[in-house]
Amino acid sequence: MANNNVKSSHNVFSRRPVITAVLIFLFLLIIGFFILWQRYQILIEQRLNEMSVITEVVEQNIAQTLKTGSSAALSLALQIDDNGDIKNFEEVASQLVDNNPNLDGVETVPDGIIKQVYPYEENKDAINYNILEDPDKRGEALKAIQEKKMFFAGPFELRQGGLAIIGRLPVFIKNEFWGFSAVIIHFDNLIENSGIKELGNGKYDFQFSKLHPVTGEEEFFLERSDNLDLSYSETINLPDGEWNIYVIPTKPQEPFNVLLPVAILIALFSGLFGWFIYYVLRQPGILSQKVKEQSGKLAQSELRFRTIFNQAAIGMMRVDSKTGMILEANQQCKDLLGYSDEELIKLDYRAVSHPEDTGTNTSMMEKLRNNEIREYSLQKRLIRKNGKYLWVNLNVSALWPKGEEATSHIAIIEDISAQIAAKQKLIENEKRFRSLVENSNEIILIINVQGEAIYFTPSLKRITGYDSLSLSGADIFSMIHPQEKESVLEKFMEANENPGTPITDVVMRMKTKFDNYIWVNATITNLLNEKSIDGYVVNLRDVTGKMEAEINLNKSYDFVMEQNKRLLNFAYIVSHNLRSHSSNFQSILELYEIDGNKDDKTCYINMLHKVSENLNQSLHDLNEVVSINTNLNIVAAPIKVRDYLIKSIDVLSLQIDRKRGKIINDIPEEMVVNFNPAYMESILLNFITNALRYSHQERDPVIKISAEKISDKWIMEIRDNGIGIDLDKYGEKVFGLYQTFTSNAESRGVGLFISKNQIEAMGGEIKIESCINKGTIFKILFK
Amino acid sequence: MSKSVWIIDDDEIYQMIIKKIITQSEIFNEFEYFLSAKAAIERLKKRAFPDVILVDINMPIMDGWQFLDYLRKEFRDELKNSLIFIVSSSIAYSDIEKAENYKEISGFITKPVNWSNLKMIENMIKRSI
Repeated sequence: MANNNVKSSHNVFSRRPVITAVLIFLFLLIIGFFILWQRYQILIEQRLNEMSVITEVVEQNIAQTLKTGSSAALSLALQIDDNGDIKNFEEVASQLVDNNPNLDGVETVPDGIIKQVYPYEENKDAINYNILEDPDKRGEALKAIQEKKMFFAGPFELRQGGLAIIGRLPVFIKNEFWGFSAVIIHFDNLIENSGIKELGNGKYDFQFSKLHPVTGEEEFFLERSDNLDLSYSETINLPDGEWNIYVIPTKPQEPFNVLLPVAILIALFSGLFGWFIYYVLRQPGILSQKVKEQSGKLAQSELRFRTIFNQAAIGMMRVDSKTGMILEANQQCKDLLGYSDEELIKLDYRAVSHPEDTGTNTSMMEKLRNNEIREYSLQKRLIRKNGKYLWVNLNVSALWPKGEEATSHIAIIEDISAQIAAKQKLIENEKRFRSLVENSNEIILIINVQGEAIYFTPSLKRITGYDSLSLSGADIFSMIHPQEKESVLEKFMEANENPGTPITDVVMRMKTKFDNYIWVNATITNLLNEKSIDGYVVNLRDVTGKMEAEINLNKSYDFVMEQNKRLLNFAYIVSHNLRSHSSNFQSILELYEIDGNKDDKTCYINMLHKVSENLNQSLHDLNEVVSINTNLNIVAAPIKVRDYLIKSIDVLSLQIDRKRGKIINDIPEEMVVNFNPAYMESILLNFITNALRYSHQERDPVIKISAEKISDKWIMEIRDNGIGIDLDKYGEKVFGLYQTFTSNAESRGVGLFISKNQIEAMGGEIKIESCINKGTIFKILFK
Repeated sequence: MSKSVWIIDDDEIYQMIIKKIITQSEIFNEFEYFLSAKAAIERLKKRAFPDVILVDINMPIMDGWQFLDYLRKEFRDELKNSLIFIVSSSIAYSDIEKAENYKEISGFITKPVNWSNLKMIENMIKRSI
């Protein structure tokens, strides 16, 4: 519709802007120049008026001068008596000349000969000059005589000097020509008195001319500029002297010059206006061109959009915003919903929406209608014709200008049922994995670069008792047992260098909330590069049971190995010991059989007795050893050690006295240990006996027995001042079976062995410190 | 030709028995008995080495091996002229094996020592001369 308006405004002018502009230009130019022409005429007329005024004034002035001259000449003539004499020429003349500034002198010219002049000095050279004999002046003089009236001759060069006009009045006495009464008017004076110069005022020049009386040529008397054109002149004819006076404008072109800038301005203005008109007229053309282009584009884009609308892979429908009725829908939309075109346009959009979703949609629609929003999008379900639901992404945009009343809107429908299904599946998967992760007995942590646990599974609480992990990095590592901390950090370094590679079997102890340690087997995986993780994934498996079993197994293994070693040793000792006895028996019996000597035989029997005694002793010792090593269930009972020591000292009092020994009992009253009473007796007797046995020859034995409690455990110390033993040489052999280090006949190498075994059977330990010739300290560490 | 033999053993009964046997065998005309290796070493410092030394392994203070180590160190040259036999009630293989590592040891005799043992020693003396 807008199109038509533009078209109707097209007229001849706007279609031919150049011609229109030129016409307007010419029109304005003609009008302007016509006005200008009239103005020019006025100026010319004004000048002519001015010139005629000037000529009039000049004419009057000159006429006045001449009249003055005439009256002066007449006054002089009246002084001439009948005889032709002038009685008082000087007096009369001076009165005439001095009182009249227009006159420069007077003279009498009887018979054409100049006789008297005033002022004399200036004009004396003209005296006796006969003007009638001068061909230049004779004509004019004769003319005056002839006409019998005043005639001004000249201007000409005076005989006495200077350019002047001479007014000559013929004087007749009794009708007979006497001569002339003449007045001299200097030409300069005449011009000055005419007022020409003042009147001209620079604007006009003047010229004064006279036809030469002899030659008849026009003679000019004023200096004139060459460029003065007489054609512009105004002429005054003065009959008294037959003169012409011209008034000539100095700048004949002036009116034109004055008007020229105006003419240029007019031309310029006309041009500008013409151009302006051209410019204005051109606009509709340009506009209509643009409109044409735009409408072309519009049509094109409408076609394009129509095509897009119909061919789009997403559903689009236009809906009446007030009623909610579907106005039109594209193919995809129809396909999505399964309705035909006719069916769809009878439907309300709510009819194809899932009832659970309409609430949100309606409230959004309300906002759209009220111009609160211009568009909205949401995910909702549509109902297909076959009753099935379809998940779509809905985009609604208003189609009315902002702020105006709602008309219709476009709804873009994108089928997202596949995405929704995938998302649902993802959620289910996530749920499944989460439940797998959260219900597993492994603790899974995600630790970020700062060492903070950003995720942990609920199993954390089950296994360690912690509700959550402190977010400070240092705290996480502080949970690791100090002995493993360094190696765990190294594993982290390793993980750091190998992103994505699980670092397995990182075994460590971890402190629980209950301040004890559990063994965990960790797998560290550096997933810093994984966007969704951005940290180290640490899987922790509680392996405390396994580790403890392993440790126990190792302990058992060590114990068994130790036992085995002991047994081997025992077997060796037994074989050696018993064999030595048996070989002795064998040898003695052999000798007994060979030797028939009765004394010898008695000796052999005695020897056999001795060997049998030794064997008995050995068997006794071995029995004792075996009983310790085999009987693992020996009863332990709380024992007050001090009482037992007192008893032992009592038992050994005889031996002590014999050695002049001194026993210091420093065992505290409160020392009570869980020990087998028989073992305790045996141990105390053994150590005291030992100390007495290996006492130093040079001093009486002093045996000090003391005890102290260190970190809940009793340590008993037996210190003597005996011979000591070279531990560098014998070391742990001290406690070996049948290990004897002196030639002392009483030492059998059994006591310490048995004591050590008894202590160890009770879970204790024994240590020895010794210095040769100074003494020995045995330390018993009770369990 | 006089043959000397030393017996080093802490078992007094054994000492008595070996004394009888050696006397009866009449292989050696000189014999000395030591109840400890230490005593034997003291004696060695004073006189020449015997032709044969019979030494026990298990003895207090200094056992047979320690004794041998001492001889190796202190009497390197003299040792070459003597035959040394380990005499032990041990039938432990480890002891026999250990004895084989000592080139100075001429033989390992398991108690009880009998005639045939002494005969073997006699033969070895003869061969070595």
